[in-house]
Amino acid sequence: MQRKTNRKALTALVMAGALALSACGGGGGTAGPAKGEDKPVDSLKFYNDKGGWKDAFTQVGAASKKDVGVGMEPVGYSDSNTYTAFIRSSFRTKEKADLFTWHTGKELQDLVDQKLVAETTDQWTKAIADGNIPEQLKQYFTFDGKQYCVPLNAGYWVMYYNKAVFKKAGITETPKNWAELTQVADKVKAAGVKPFYQTNILFSFVWFETLLAGKDPDLYDALAAGKAKYTDPGVVEVMNEWKKMIDAGYFSDPGAKTEPQAQLKNGDVAMINFGTWFSGNLNTLKMKAGTDYDFFVIPNVNPALPKTSMIFETGPVCSAAASDHASTVKKWTDWWLTPQAQTAWANSRGDLSFNPKAEVKDPALSKLNKDVGGDGYRLINRWFEATPVPVANKALEVFGAFVTKPGDPMPGLQKIQAEADAYWAKQK
Amino acid sequence: MRNAAAARTGARVAPLFGLPAAGVVALLLYLPFLWTTYVSFTEYDGLASPVWNGLTNYKAMFSDPDLIGSLVNTLLWVAGMITLPVVLGLLVAVLTYGHKWGTWLRLPFLLPYAISGVAVGVIWGFVLQPDGALGQALGFFGLPGEHTGWLQSGPGNTLMMIVATTWQAAGVNALLFVVGLQSIPTEPLEAARLDGAEGFSLFRHHLWPQLRAITTVVIGLSLVGSLKTFDVVWVMTQGGPGTSSETLALSMYKETFVLNDYGQGAAIALFLSLVTFAASILYLRYQLGDAREQG
Repeated sequence: MQRKTNRKALTALVMAGALALSACGGGGGTAGPAKGEDKPVDSLKFYNDKGGWKDAFTQVGAASKKDVGVGMEPVGYSDSNTYTAFIRSSFRTKEKADLFTWHTGKELQDLVDQKLVAETTDQWTKAIADGNIPEQLKQYFTFDGKQYCVPLNAGYWVMYYNKAVFKKAGITETPKNWAELTQVADKVKAAGVKPFYQTNILFSFVWFETLLAGKDPDLYDALAAGKAKYTDPGVVEVMNEWKKMIDAGYFSDPGAKTEPQAQLKNGDVAMINFGTWFSGNLNTLKMKAGTDYDFFVIPNVNPALPKTSMIFETGPVCSAAASDHASTVKKWTDWWLTPQAQTAWANSRGDLSFNPKAEVKDPALSKLNKDVGGDGYRLINRWFEATPVPVANKALEVFGAFVTKPGDPMPGLQKIQAEADAYWAKQK
Repeated sequence: MRNAAAARTGARVAPLFGLPAAGVVALLLYLPFLWTTYVSFTEYDGLASPVWNGLTNYKAMFSDPDLIGSLVNTLLWVAGMITLPVVLGLLVAVLTYGHKWGTWLRLPFLLPYAISGVAVGVIWGFVLQPDGALGQALGFFGLPGEHTGWLQSGPGNTLMMIVATTWQAAGVNALLFVVGLQSIPTEPLEAARLDGAEGFSLFRHHLWPQLRAITTVVIGLSLVGSLKTFDVVWVMTQGGPGTSSETLALSMYKETFVLNDYGQGAAIALFLSLVTFAASILYLRYQLGDAREQG
């Protein structure tokens, strides 16, 4: 009797265990495709850290469905750190992302080194030959002579300004050189508005980047490559220039919690230097390009430089190397590079496109796209992508503290350099 | 006879039914803990396989000035949270207990507890901006400090965030103390009152000793909570400017998810867990030991 009871209990346990395991397993009993086996699908999930761009992505997804029969469904994260951790950990699971946004520079190299992202060399060769991607973009996606991912966007960093504030301050012309920019700032200040936006979190690097690129772009590039030091006199000079501007009252409160686009709209600040994607942010606040806001190219700090330094950024759309839907991904990314896709994309946000053939409706952005392609500009990789992650993080801390409480920049620069020394020592 | 045999069998088999639950706990708690412990002895970026590097992460933790700063800030939080909200909670409880309008008087202190830590951070972030509500109020009353950057330098920013958290935590402490007060038998208190004890004397000699058990709980909870401080700091300053308001929990997050140094993050996590565990055990043993001696 006792043995019988035991058997019953054990049978019950085994059944409960089996039920629990089948519930966890998923898959419903049908055999899934073998790893890496291609399985065409009607729609792709597009993981991204641009939660605020959901509407634009959804519009593009509808356009791709119409054009090539493959839809795209955005899965947006608002917090970049959570997103990065999610994507990194997804590579250790079976569910690898078919499409996901990433960063160029060291972050992309990490994935390439581990052979986690699909190669796109053939797509690049064709797209460049067709004139759908400018050749100069290729370097940001190339590792050991091969290309990975395709561009998501391309943006130039310009100075946005509130037209009503400029009018109130009696400014009729946008500045053409640094001295004029300073005069404009003085006029705005006299009108009771803070001339420039500044923050002590994430984008605290912006003014460092602007001043260094506009003063000594060679030093900027050398610094990014670990061939110059943050304690070099040229860098110290830039920090002191920055401090002088802070002391002169040119900047908004760096700890303000109000979003920059709202600060510009409210007229709390007159000017903000940001990438051209900022147009999309302003448009979502119902600000009208050319009427409520406009932008101008930021002049060099050093007027003797032969070309205008233009901060440039590009972000990739990648696919996992072991994606089960490789053929669908290729179909979609082939479409993504075409002028019709890029026209849909650029105008869904009121932004630029990497494809010069895209018809950008905003005349100012369209003109900028053409101008920058000319000889007068030197493209400078955005500091955030150009700088290795640990160095960038330490520098962001230092810049954040500096804009909040400007003082002798040297101790902070030494901290960044210590981090840079440790980083570059590991690379050799 | 048959019933007795069945009962014996049941008693023997019963633990088996706990196995699924134990399995779930092992899967969700102990395995990640063991994995974190292993990762803390490795160099691991979340992509390539972890590479064993011995005690390197622990050595880095105790030699990096920023992490030492985090440790100091965490200790400030511990000191702040086991005093301010506890004392305030006790005051609120004692002054309102037995009062005709006691429940209503406690309500304003209790309500903030219904708000999440993140919301507290957002609200106080606005209050403590250089031109925020506090600055404006000071300006209105003609008091100095109107344009103070409350959150812009350490350790002042940490202290202000402790104040913000006190605003939230004092209410629940008051509630716990009220429960403690309610559990005190009324007869000895009435006897004490008849003997002339009142006011602070009544509290010092009759109420306070009997609140010992609940005080142990309140301080214990505050101790553990303060060691894990994250949400309010993340929302209000993200540990900055620089690293001036970083706590260990925040450093753990930054090392892991911002710098992708999972090994260093795991080392901080393990250290923090051990400190929290040790502090809880030591505190409770000390308190219970004292109680036994008194008993």
